[in-house]
Amino acid sequence: MSASLYQENLIEHFKYPQNKKILEHPDFVVHEHNPSCGDRVSMQGCLTNGVLTEVGFQGSGCVISQAAASMLTEHCLGKDIAAILALSADDMTALVGIPLGPTRLKCAILCLHALQQGLRDYLKQ
Amino acid sequence: MSCSTLRKDFPLINRIQGAYLDNAATAHKPQAMLEAMAAFYEHDYATVNRGLYAAGEQATAACEQTRARVAQLINATPHEVIFTSGTTQSINLVASSWALQHCRAGDQIVLTEAEHHANLLPWQEVAAKTGAQLVFIPLDRSSLQLVDATPYITPRTKLVAVTLSSNVLGDVWPAGYLHACIDKAHAVGAVVLLDAAQAIAHQPVDVQALNADFLAFSAHKLFGPTGLGVLFAKQSLQETMQPYQRGGSMVYEAHFDHAVWQKGPAKFEAGTPPIAAIIGFGATLAYLQKTISWPAVQEHETALCRQLLAGLQKLPRVTIVGNPAVIAAHGHLVSFVVAGIHAHDIASALGSQGIAVRAGHLCAQPLVDALGFNSLVRVSVALYSNEQDIALFLQTLEQTIGLFTNILEQP
Repeated sequence: MSASLYQENLIEHFKYPQNKKILEHPDFVVHEHNPSCGDRVSMQGCLTNGVLTEVGFQGSGCVISQAAASMLTEHCLGKDIAAILALSADDMTALVGIPLGPTRLKCAILCLHALQQGLRDYLKQ
Repeated sequence: MSCSTLRKDFPLINRIQGAYLDNAATAHKPQAMLEAMAAFYEHDYATVNRGLYAAGEQATAACEQTRARVAQLINATPHEVIFTSGTTQSINLVASSWALQHCRAGDQIVLTEAEHHANLLPWQEVAAKTGAQLVFIPLDRSSLQLVDATPYITPRTKLVAVTLSSNVLGDVWPAGYLHACIDKAHAVGAVVLLDAAQAIAHQPVDVQALNADFLAFSAHKLFGPTGLGVLFAKQSLQETMQPYQRGGSMVYEAHFDHAVWQKGPAKFEAGTPPIAAIIGFGATLAYLQKTISWPAVQEHETALCRQLLAGLQKLPRVTIVGNPAVIAAHGHLVSFVVAGIHAHDIASALGSQGIAVRAGHLCAQPLVDALGFNSLVRVSVALYSNEQDIALFLQTLEQTIGLFTNILEQP
């Protein structure tokens, strides 16, 4: 069951999250939560010449919400703002690697909303 | 009647591979309802309250027959039964058409801590618009039962709007407390609204015995169609209420610059109603009236709850969120958490095995927050649920907890 429900990769990211840290001088910090289940993710990042050079997340919640945040930080590190803002829910599903219904999709894209909001806030500054 | 024999009357419940245990969210439908709705669309379709032709007259009569059946179900008179789109709209109707006219700054609206968002957010809006104040009857944190409500009801109380049964905890009223609450409300001149969304499918609901002024429920939780609900409103109150929406059907006479409303319940039923749903609900009610007795339903459902409690109490990491003694005596749902495993992960794992349960804050976020959780798993039964459903759920939950424990604890 675990194999069909959650891929090993997803579990690995949940148990050993990448970039789960607090940055000392972030250019943006954004908190997001999923009101229907209480998942929480906050994203921080540093940008240099429009490229995400440092990223960190904090959070609590279900396996998918936390593993997705870890995967997203890994995926986005070193990418430019436009590339990250172009990421869609479909890209997030591909990253997570398992089919997600509409309810679980919200868990998976919570971190993407936070990161993209952070970048938009940064661009407005 | 035996609940084990009526499961066959719910075709989808019989076809489901797994177990459907999300009945507090919505209940499945008897064959009688499906046939009535199909027959209406296939053979008898027409609108109501207008057509001077046979099909129109028949549809009108069929809808009024459902109104009479609803009245019989809750011991009201038919003109006290208003059709709405569901519990949510029923309560919003009272908020908009009664409370906004009658509440003033300094008045108090008394609720419980255990309300569903549908019986909380409309009153927040009334409070914001009128300056009335919301007062909450607290839950005792150890028994998860409401404390004595009477001290919270004062001469400033204008409305007491409380649930008959919580969608998170089940019954929250110690014996006699609800009646004392309603009596005190009436003694201070307040009006009482009862949210029967959960109670309606599990116990007899008698508006006269309860002495309710308003009572709301949805058809779909009582084995009827979605998109249809009921608001019981005492006739004397209907006369003091504004229409909820204005348009067709609800007007007595209309001029270019003004209009005169019909009397209730038509005054509150603007536009073409969900005719097929009303006819379908009539068939459901006729089926229930012919087939069930509430004492037998309660005996059946509490036996399933005892099976659930006994199984859950044996599982590692599981904490029941509710009062086990109350659930064992007259419950229809059990909420719980699993330490270290998010409710969504549990519900997804169960869902992948065909077992439908609910996870989240259950549309009662302030309550779930106040109890110190952010997400619960809820298992809820109906009259067609059986021991195999519960056994399959418990067995799958045990496997799920075992798998997650292995995954999370392995280095």
